[in-house]
Amino acid sequence: MAVVDLPQWLALAPALLLAATALVLFAFDSINPHTTNRTLFAGTTVVGALASLAVAVWYAAAGVGATGIENYGVIDIMGGQFVVDQLALFFMIVVAVVTALVAVASHDYLRDHAYQAEYYSLLALAATGMSMMAVSNSLVTVFIALELTSLPSYALVAILKDNRGSVEAGLKYFLIGALSSAIFVYGVSLVYGATGSLQLEAIAANLDAAGEMGGLLGLGILMLIGGIAFKTASVPFHFWAPEAYEGAPAPISAFLSSASKAAGFVLAFRVFTTAFPLEATTAVIGVDWTWAFVILAIVTMTLGNFAAATQENVKRMLAYSSIGHAGYVLIGLAALSTPSGDLVMGAAMIHLLVYGFMNTGAFLFVGLAEYWGVGRTFEDYNGLATQAPVACAAMAVFMFSLAGIPPFGGFGSKYLLFSHTIEAAAENTALLAAAAALVINSTLSLYYYSRLVKALWIEEPLRERDALATPTGLYAAIIAAAVVTAVILAAFGPIADVATEAAAAVVG
Amino acid sequence: MAMASDPFGFAPAIAVFPLVAFVITLLFGRHLPKKGALPGIIATGGSLVVSLVMAAAVAGGGEHHAQLYEWTAGAAASETGAETVAFTFGILIDPLSALMLVIVSLVALLVHVFSLGYMNAEGETGLPRYYAELGLFTFSMLAFVFADNLLMAFMFFELVGLCSYLLIGFWFRTESAPSAAKKAFLVTRFGDYFFLIGVVAIAATFGTVGFAGEGSFVTAAETAIEDGATLFGFDAQTWVTITGLLVLGGVLGKSAQFPFHTWLPDAMEGPTTVSALIHAATMVAAGVYLVARMFGYYALSPTALAIIAFVGGFTALFAATMAVVKDDVKQVLAYSTISQYGYMMLGLGVGGYVAGVFHLMNHAFFKALLFLGAGAVIILMHHEQDMWEMGGLKDKAPVVYYTFLAGALALAGIVPFSGFWSKDEVLFDALAVGLSEPVILAAYAMGLVAVFFTGFYTFRMVFLTFHGEPRSDTAEDPHPVGWAVKVPLLALGTLAAVAGLVNMAPIAKLAGVDITFLEFWLDGEYGYVEGLTYHHYHETVAEMAFEESYIGSETTTMLLSAGLSLGLALAGAVTAHTLYNVPDPDRHTTKLGGAYGVLKRNYYQDEYQVWLAEGLTLPLARAADRFDQTVIDGVVNGTSTISLFGSDWVKRIQTGIVTNYAALLVGGFIALLLVFGYLGGWFA
Repeated sequence: MAVVDLPQWLALAPALLLAATALVLFAFDSINPHTTNRTLFAGTTVVGALASLAVAVWYAAAGVGATGIENYGVIDIMGGQFVVDQLALFFMIVVAVVTALVAVASHDYLRDHAYQAEYYSLLALAATGMSMMAVSNSLVTVFIALELTSLPSYALVAILKDNRGSVEAGLKYFLIGALSSAIFVYGVSLVYGATGSLQLEAIAANLDAAGEMGGLLGLGILMLIGGIAFKTASVPFHFWAPEAYEGAPAPISAFLSSASKAAGFVLAFRVFTTAFPLEATTAVIGVDWTWAFVILAIVTMTLGNFAAATQENVKRMLAYSSIGHAGYVLIGLAALSTPSGDLVMGAAMIHLLVYGFMNTGAFLFVGLAEYWGVGRTFEDYNGLATQAPVACAAMAVFMFSLAGIPPFGGFGSKYLLFSHTIEAAAENTALLAAAAALVINSTLSLYYYSRLVKALWIEEPLRERDALATPTGLYAAIIAAAVVTAVILAAFGPIADVATEAAAAVVG
Repeated sequence: MAMASDPFGFAPAIAVFPLVAFVITLLFGRHLPKKGALPGIIATGGSLVVSLVMAAAVAGGGEHHAQLYEWTAGAAASETGAETVAFTFGILIDPLSALMLVIVSLVALLVHVFSLGYMNAEGETGLPRYYAELGLFTFSMLAFVFADNLLMAFMFFELVGLCSYLLIGFWFRTESAPSAAKKAFLVTRFGDYFFLIGVVAIAATFGTVGFAGEGSFVTAAETAIEDGATLFGFDAQTWVTITGLLVLGGVLGKSAQFPFHTWLPDAMEGPTTVSALIHAATMVAAGVYLVARMFGYYALSPTALAIIAFVGGFTALFAATMAVVKDDVKQVLAYSTISQYGYMMLGLGVGGYVAGVFHLMNHAFFKALLFLGAGAVIILMHHEQDMWEMGGLKDKAPVVYYTFLAGALALAGIVPFSGFWSKDEVLFDALAVGLSEPVILAAYAMGLVAVFFTGFYTFRMVFLTFHGEPRSDTAEDPHPVGWAVKVPLLALGTLAAVAGLVNMAPIAKLAGVDITFLEFWLDGEYGYVEGLTYHHYHETVAEMAFEESYIGSETTTMLLSAGLSLGLALAGAVTAHTLYNVPDPDRHTTKLGGAYGVLKRNYYQDEYQVWLAEGLTLPLARAADRFDQTVIDGVVNGTSTISLFGSDWVKRIQTGIVTNYAALLVGGFIALLLVFGYLGGWFA
């Protein structure tokens, strides 16, 4: 194929397309600042996201990042500041998919909104940042991508300017984000101080140079973990998440909890596998950093699920469930100390992919409920199935998939994660605790997920409701997500192969 | 084998006819004349004709083994190294199954005809259901008989069990019938549980469940034993014994052998025609037939054979003693069935394959006869079954009397009626083996003593029912019976009288003539399937298990055995004659003393099984339930309470105040830092 004839920098095309989309939207807005042609904006964003998705899929299919003679291998750009490999493409795909779903859904959700162009261009910019996070290969580019994601996100959460909750959430998100960014960037400086490098491979090569400064390097690494934990909404950097998700427009909650989280994880996968190879790092800092992830994984999934169990507000429940899922995925990093670490990490990646559909869909359903104006609590959702059976069926699919019940995608990814973790536990018994926590928390999660399904399908409505509209965009996004969630299990074999291969490539 | 028009192509029709009758009767029975009896009669008649054609084809030197349908097949390495396993439906027509097909379809046909007199003429309701179930029953049994593998046999075995459940509970509005049906179902199911495990074990061990041919589990087991293989940690022969005994669990349940015999007397709650079918040709026969069908497998294990023989001998005596004190004519017959199947098991258990099958055949005829005869008596008596209310029916219903008498003579084993020849052969085979095997000798002794009791209770029944003075008003003036009752009785009466002539082993030995036709039949003189002949079995048994020895010569032993059993049978009959063949017989129960109570209560078998259920299982179940309710549920409920409580607590961390968050965030981070710093020695 023709990829080989393209200049190297075009390997970043999936991210660049999103950036271009943002610029086009700016251009529209500059030409006609007062237009509220939401179809144009949403359409442009969707086209940009789908183009990004198409290019990423094409690259992946063409063999960018894959080894072997007929493939193109890993592409380094700007002296290794960026790297395009299978891992990057996998997450670019996740980001593009979620962006497209969110943009489609936003079309209806923001129907009376004043700042249409700003909304979509911020969305596209944040997506650009996430896409860049997947390819960043130096702590500088990582930080820039991180901020490129974060800053538009703060604005997006607060974009409902007349809504107290939205503004308050935006501010809290910003404050916690600023603190986390500060910690992260301080960590970057400490790592630089210890190793003299910012490029990830170079850090790995210079770990020996840290020598006496092992503690300093260790502190730096912990601070990096902090920054990443903020992005992935892991304990104890999760405090922003319930507030932000609850206050933000539902599509933005979906966007942040799915795409942003996935981007945070690709960062973690890349930084920790490339820059801090386990043995060399342990030799310098005196402690195995996977332990941090073991602890974070167990605490995060437990806290997320426990807090979700008794929530009355659906969106808040989903926010905590999202924290719980971050805990599951963290096992992917916790297991890196074992020989089957790549398998576990592959499973974690698949979970993020499936999560991109089921969680986005779930938040979009909440968006739909907000669009209808039925209310926010479980009780307000009572009996919706009689009025909107299709959407409620889709929601049931999301809930059961999130809980990990066959035959939905969430079952497959959780099962893979669990079985590979058990396998890895043969080498590191702490993982047994992680696997046990995974099962226990999944069981607990079934409680609150099925509670919502029960409310939708079994309970009688508390009060009479008017007929509910069927906004095309929201419905389309929800149904698309539901269909993929339901059928993805059929294609699990090949997806698992791709993810495992991508993971194996970076774990090395 | 390769004939121009292969009659074996019609073999599936044997089972399909009754299945079609079942469907037709089920759907349209209500609107058919005779409420669905006709499709059943036509179908079983068709089955009989095709079965006879099969038998003729086998007599002409043919045999048939074909696969009909494959359920599933796949790679699954078995213990003996077979790489694939296939589960199929197939047909195996060899001398044994051809014989059994004729017996089953004949008895089923006669039962259908008899039902016209017993059910239709008596104005029973629910007849379409009755005939439909009868059709399904016949279908299941016929398909079971020609099954060519153990899994198919198991499936139809279960279907047979289901049908007998339905038919025993035919009068489901009464209190006792549903209870009896449930009992039959549960007790046989208990045995079938082991059967199923046995099927799985055999499939897992040998990678095949076929009965015949190179790919059969019998051949595979033989090879494994010859190679001295170790299967699942056991010596091959031990493993064959274990799996054989597991399958035997199903056999003991179905054939009502001790200790699973308790369901059968209760099963008398079903219509008498159903009893005839169950006892003679279907349900109960299925168990023994299965042993005969896979006899090659049991022949490999002396332990299994000895257990079969001993259980058989014991059951024969055990049930015969209980029959002695029964007052209900059907109860007597029920216990006699248990006892007679004990003989068959005894015969098979000592390697007397021909003797066992011979007795199975004769018993099918004379027991069907006796049950139908009892049915006729019940019609005569306006549904009175207590023998003490009868008497003197001899002159009122001569056809019923003489046919019943033929059946009774056959059952008691009086020469030259059929039962004599087969029972004698069973006992002779048991004696020959018993002379060198003490366990078998004990089984033989029990079988021999049971002959006396058989003669006694049989003639007690005959005398009480037909002789003496009528002891009730209905006996004075019995209800007449029609042709539909008489024709089957006459047909079976003839068979009960002459069927034994096909294998008169003692005469053959004495006169030195070749008239043991059944033996030739089963020994591959006509058509046969390699490895499924009496010859082969006999050699296997001789090689693996028992040797035979004789008192003096073989002929002397044979005469001695025949004389003994005939003498005892006559003694029993004469005793009955003295006690009960008087105008006004007495019960004579006091003569038995304390034994009477024990016998009347069936050795407390029901009581102890009820105790097992209520005294042992129920408290255990209660304890388990209590454990479940308190400990398990407690833990579960406790967990959820704790979870929800924890959830509330966790929720409270989220105060909504951003400075708290910052503090907690930094605090958490510092805690992590302290742990890692300590572990990594960063503060040193």
